[in-house]
Amino acid sequence: MYYRIIRNDMLKSKLITMTTMIFVAVAAMLVSLSAILVVNLSGSINMLMDQAKTPHFMQMHSGAIDTRRLADFAEQNSLVDEFQVLEFLNVDGAQIVINGNSLADSVQDNGFTTQSEKFDYLLDLDGNVITVFDGEIYIPVSYMKDGTGKVGDTISINGKKLTVAGFLRDSQMNSLLASSKRFLVSENDYAAIKDSGSTEYLIEFRLKNMSEISTFETAYTSAGLEANGPTITYPLFKMLNAISDGLMIAVLLLVSTLIVAITFMCIHFTLLAKIEDDYREIGVMKAIGLQASDLKKIYLVKYAVIAAAGCMLGFALSFVFRGLLLENIRLYMGESEHASFAFVFGIVGILIVFLAMIAYVNHVLKRFRKISAAHAIRFGTSQGKAAGAKHFRLSRNRLLTTNTFLGVKDVLARKSLYATMLAVLIISTFIIIVPQNLYNTISSKSFITYMGIGSSDMRIDIQQTSHISEKAAEIVKVMERDSSISKYAVLTTKTFNAKAADGTEQGIKIELGDHSVLPVQYSEGRAPVAEDEIALSTMNADDLGIKVGDVMTLVIDGKEKDFTVRGVYSDVTNGGKTAKAVFSDDSADIMWSVIYAKLSDPSLAEAKTSEYADRFHFAKVSHIDEYVAQTFGSTISSVGKASDTSIAVALMIAGLVILLFMKMLVAKDSYSIAVMKSVGFTDSDIAMQYISRSVFVLMAGMVLGTLLANTLGEVLAGAVISSFGASSFQFVDHPLSMYPLLLMIGTVLIATMLGTWGAGQIKIAANMKE
Amino acid sequence: MKMIIGENIVKSFSAGNETHPVLGGVSLKINEGEFISIMGPSGSGKTTLMYAVSGMDSIDSGTVLFDGRNLSALSEKELSDIRRTKMGFVFQQPTLLKNLNILDNIILPAMRDNKKNAAKTMEKARALMKKVGISELEKRDITEVSGGQLQRAGICRAVMSQPKIIFGDEPTGALNSTSAQKIMDILSDINTEGTAVMLVTHDAKVAARTERIMFMCDGSIVSELRFKKFNGTGMEDRIKAITAKMREIGI
Repeated sequence: MYYRIIRNDMLKSKLITMTTMIFVAVAAMLVSLSAILVVNLSGSINMLMDQAKTPHFMQMHSGAIDTRRLADFAEQNSLVDEFQVLEFLNVDGAQIVINGNSLADSVQDNGFTTQSEKFDYLLDLDGNVITVFDGEIYIPVSYMKDGTGKVGDTISINGKKLTVAGFLRDSQMNSLLASSKRFLVSENDYAAIKDSGSTEYLIEFRLKNMSEISTFETAYTSAGLEANGPTITYPLFKMLNAISDGLMIAVLLLVSTLIVAITFMCIHFTLLAKIEDDYREIGVMKAIGLQASDLKKIYLVKYAVIAAAGCMLGFALSFVFRGLLLENIRLYMGESEHASFAFVFGIVGILIVFLAMIAYVNHVLKRFRKISAAHAIRFGTSQGKAAGAKHFRLSRNRLLTTNTFLGVKDVLARKSLYATMLAVLIISTFIIIVPQNLYNTISSKSFITYMGIGSSDMRIDIQQTSHISEKAAEIVKVMERDSSISKYAVLTTKTFNAKAADGTEQGIKIELGDHSVLPVQYSEGRAPVAEDEIALSTMNADDLGIKVGDVMTLVIDGKEKDFTVRGVYSDVTNGGKTAKAVFSDDSADIMWSVIYAKLSDPSLAEAKTSEYADRFHFAKVSHIDEYVAQTFGSTISSVGKASDTSIAVALMIAGLVILLFMKMLVAKDSYSIAVMKSVGFTDSDIAMQYISRSVFVLMAGMVLGTLLANTLGEVLAGAVISSFGASSFQFVDHPLSMYPLLLMIGTVLIATMLGTWGAGQIKIAANMKE
Repeated sequence: MKMIIGENIVKSFSAGNETHPVLGGVSLKINEGEFISIMGPSGSGKTTLMYAVSGMDSIDSGTVLFDGRNLSALSEKELSDIRRTKMGFVFQQPTLLKNLNILDNIILPAMRDNKKNAAKTMEKARALMKKVGISELEKRDITEVSGGQLQRAGICRAVMSQPKIIFGDEPTGALNSTSAQKIMDILSDINTEGTAVMLVTHDAKVAARTERIMFMCDGSIVSELRFKKFNGTGMEDRIKAITAKMREIGI
């Protein structure tokens, strides 16, 4: 009997059954995809880092190196399992020419290396350690993706010609966020090009026990060994590898949560409407002694069938799309070690969606118990009248047209019915605005100031060269005379030792210079101004346990000096551990200098960049937009894609739900519509009333959605952004963000008109005979 | 003067593959200011005829002229305009909107056209409510008053636009005899002021208040009875005449 009742019920409401099922399917698909992606991503990263034997601790170093001393240190330190020093030949981009195009515009530090012997292997796309022959070169996989080079291309390095034999995965530097890229050549070829650039050393350690990385880090620092360059540890490598795809997963999960919420609301609405329709019947059943739980069971089974069908469909769909989403992970990191787990996790995700649905339907159906038999039989409807609407009277209305008044009045009188529509519109607005604002914000120019890069138009890096300060002075001299440069700041990075609370010393890189000219965004406090002031990056502040206002001690030229911490800022450059101060110092070696320049006319940036690049060969000159695009390019474009997708999804959801909602409403209201028509309201009057309802709810939804997006959404987006290093965050307002909302208004209006089309077909005669 | 001229009206309903003829070529004329009723057994086509001549339902063939205009040839909008300005409807169940209170329901059609004269409209509505004895109910919700009171509010709504004719589909069918009496008094008053009234009824007592009674059977008008305008006397005789006629035609 159940089967027949359920089948008839579904056939009667095909559209609604189908839509609910599709929503469940999409939610199930997204949840299952997220689960599969999470498992694959973590599996692939682990696999890649296992196969490549990524170092647990790496110190980059340029300048003189004492390999003996390092080897002795490694031997004596009981934590060390393996140790090696790799060479990295840093060659200026202009000297590397792939198929006629030089890498001069690349902001990456492109360099050459030979295959390592012990660990930190460079792998081919099958995950095998590459053996490279003379005349061959392997290039980073990211250059395959952006089409810089392909197998068979010729690369010329300072005149030496090599053929691209394949692509390599580099467990350290795969990510675009890692600023260096390694090319692999044979020992002989390496020797041949060795004079084309400057050599940098990668001092690498693998530890016996990975949990002791920080103990080892302290030991290394306090031993006073080579440390002229960033320090990177295993967890940071892992994070760098995970960011781009991790963001995508986060967005997918967010969207699937929202779709589950919308599915719930649709069920809520459909069920309530159904209960209302069956109100008298339910009352009669109760009155003659049948149990409401029998009825409840019927609905529950019906939704279990819909949910099961939707979940299965969603699981099938996830197979169609997983390849597409896994593409990037597979390319950069290879197959996952637990690919079969992914399947299980996908099923678990889907089961969760299914069970959540059943639990929710069960919850809504609790209303059955509350129905009073007497009341149901007498009135045939539940008397859910909102008190607030009572004083909203046509006889007092002077402002609205009568049709608009009736629309608004209906919404106010049946608030709980329209709550679903409102919630869907709030959510749609939210999922339109948040990803879009996130995208606008991270792609906006000022965003780099959140990332530890001063707001400027041009950036000039001077490193891996001798006489850095003279060279910087040379550039500054030119800039002073250059009228098109309105402001510039020279920031010179040096390493000092900082004293921790327990008396141990720790190396800290400090950027010296005037930090007020082209400031970064301080999440707390302000830029250092006085000689005894300092600002720390978030990571350093957390590491040292220091807050704004605290005093910290630096060892400069053998003497201790106290500094007041004035500010904390986010930084993603140089491993995230930096500091800023203004004091002058001649004691420590310069590691590098960066000159930021702001132009009086930003449109000249491109021309100025090439002018300075041509003039100063020793420096790396980048247009800041390009710098940002190359550093965060893939992240920005994935967020951009996600944002476009969420706009499309939100519009589709809003359109579909409103269409359905209006169709149901017209069916429910057929009596009122017939009454209106009988007293002389035209079809267009009635359409106007429905449009007024939609527009009224839409306005409320958009206002609330926007509010929510700018509060909760900002916090959420901030959480996403802080996952890659920026700690304080605010949306950048953008005029463009209005367009999708206009699209939404259009979608809702069209859906309303389509949904209420049926109102014109309602025959007075058929609906007035009760 | 003829206000409604129906010629050869045919209407059938289809259920599945079968069609049931309901009106088999009915012709009738209604004069301005006339008070008429239609009687007949259930399923004889009374209500369908009323919907047909009021333009509320389409017809299969034949013509209905209202004030000289062919209703079948009018657009939906023109029909709505006529319903709003020239016709009033009263149904067996009071058809008021749940969301609005009594006063708002009464002024609803008038407010659609004429929001500028809201004050006048309200004044008129209050006067009508006073006349039918429901002035103290204007702020009540429709679930808070009795069926008879609702029906009176429905009549107020119907006469707000000073229509040429009021159609009543068993307007007293759901009421007790006292309430029914009151409704008929109101309708008689309205008719005395010049508005035509057409009622569909089972009740000989209701029909006896009208001046012309058409008897329907199986989709046709089979007979007719005429009285003088009711002046409060001779009720018994009129009822007797009606029941005799009904017996004669076998209803």
